[in-house]
Amino acid sequence: MLTVEQNNELTQIGPGTPMGELLRRYWYPIAFEQDFDTVPSKTVRLLSEDWTLYKTPSGKYGIIGEKCAHRRASLTYGVVHEDGIRCGYHGWKFGFDGQCLEQPAEADNANFRDRVKMKSGKAEVMGGMVWVYVGPDPAPELPRFDVFVKPGIRDVGYTTIPCNWLQIMENSVDPHHVEWLHGYYFNFVGETNGFEAPKAFQKKHIRTGFDEMEWGILKRRVLEGGTEENDDWKIGHPLVFPFYMRVGGAYIDQMQIRVPIDETHTWKLFYSTHNPGEELDTQERPTVYEYLWKDEQGRFITDYIEGQDIMAWVSQGEITDRTQEHLGRSDAGVAMLRKMFKENMRKVANGEDPIAITREKHDIINLPCERDKFGAERTFAAAWINGGSMRYSPIKDQLLELHESYWQRQSAEKAGSGA
Amino acid sequence: MPDERSEVVARAAESAPLPPDPHQLPPPGAWFAPDAERHYLDRPKYCPMCAAAIGEHGGITTEYWTGDTRNFMTWCGECGWFGEVVRFDRVTILEEDH
Repeated sequence: MLTVEQNNELTQIGPGTPMGELLRRYWYPIAFEQDFDTVPSKTVRLLSEDWTLYKTPSGKYGIIGEKCAHRRASLTYGVVHEDGIRCGYHGWKFGFDGQCLEQPAEADNANFRDRVKMKSGKAEVMGGMVWVYVGPDPAPELPRFDVFVKPGIRDVGYTTIPCNWLQIMENSVDPHHVEWLHGYYFNFVGETNGFEAPKAFQKKHIRTGFDEMEWGILKRRVLEGGTEENDDWKIGHPLVFPFYMRVGGAYIDQMQIRVPIDETHTWKLFYSTHNPGEELDTQERPTVYEYLWKDEQGRFITDYIEGQDIMAWVSQGEITDRTQEHLGRSDAGVAMLRKMFKENMRKVANGEDPIAITREKHDIINLPCERDKFGAERTFAAAWINGGSMRYSPIKDQLLELHESYWQRQSAEKAGSGA
Repeated sequence: MPDERSEVVARAAESAPLPPDPHQLPPPGAWFAPDAERHYLDRPKYCPMCAAAIGEHGGITTEYWTGDTRNFMTWCGECGWFGEVVRFDRVTILEEDH
């Protein structure tokens, strides 16, 4: 359990707060490329601040505080130029770095103009999403994690969840919830509603392990019937600090992304790359879809994996009250993550870089991630697609066919070779 | 086994006083408040390695239980020591298969 003060420190993310300063050292996906097909700008909220994200006619992206420095009108309804954005109200123009460039109704007084500089950031495209950095200069490199840049068929599920991002991150270092929430409880929901829940998630945990690593915390598990030679332990998968989890199995690679919109809202994305067996052509843009988590009666939808997670996270409260919790041995990963946040808050306060940023140019950052998940092999891909948020994907049937045809080819090759 | 309640009272009496701002704990009357107080008072206050005050140097102590054993996962913001301080009434050893 934490004190009120500690809970506040870990969950408040506005400018000037210790956690807010730490989180402003990272790049975040905040929109999709297609958001700008019909409009040149949109309002986005990130780290408890409102921003205008815009795209110039030549395709360059910029991000600036939403409220014009002049009289606070929204720049989202401004005029986009190649060198910045102009407020629609009185025509003040701002460059990509937030510097005021023009004040049409004023005397051409550079002294006044040069004193006006708005908060701004940097914006780039990767993997069909627009990523932004709103922290201090110099910005680190946009980290090109494998899931976003490797070839394959890609789809991205998204929704906005009304809770603090930290309780979602703590879920990522809580392996035991899998066998209960996605195993035992899922089975109960299946029995109640007349369907068979996936068996792969029902295996008991025999051992769990957490290793601090360059990008966060590597999580390992041995499940009932398995050994330390299985991928689940030998390779594991990482919580990528401070707002991702990398998961995968059976030729699905996924990054789970938790963008801290503000203290009580999180943009939750499942970015998946499907690449069974061969080099597939990558779509120009990933298929994007919204997944549901509440039904028409306002009840949580708990007959799929991520819906179960969301029930748990949201029902913990907008900002869960950690003064009332009782941690046990199985929560050691949660305690470790809190320590990692504290440690890196301190680094930032001392003027150092926190972990999991890179300042070196690179093509791809490969993250460790098991291939044979839960010992389920062939059945895992279908179980994940049908029993997870991907069931809402408009290309679900094609994905199922893609994976099944791979495993059929594998079976045929084995049969042909007499193996 | 010692009487748990009397031990708690004795332990609390030996410990440092409550933090100066009582609002840092759950409000009086909240069902968990006495327990919260006990947890707050019992946690390690100084680093086992360098003796810096954990709370004053950006460190954190997070308590979790293993049966009757109370584990305080502790990170010192001053020297970086990271480990556990374990409080128990009985020392037990889990024998590996042999």
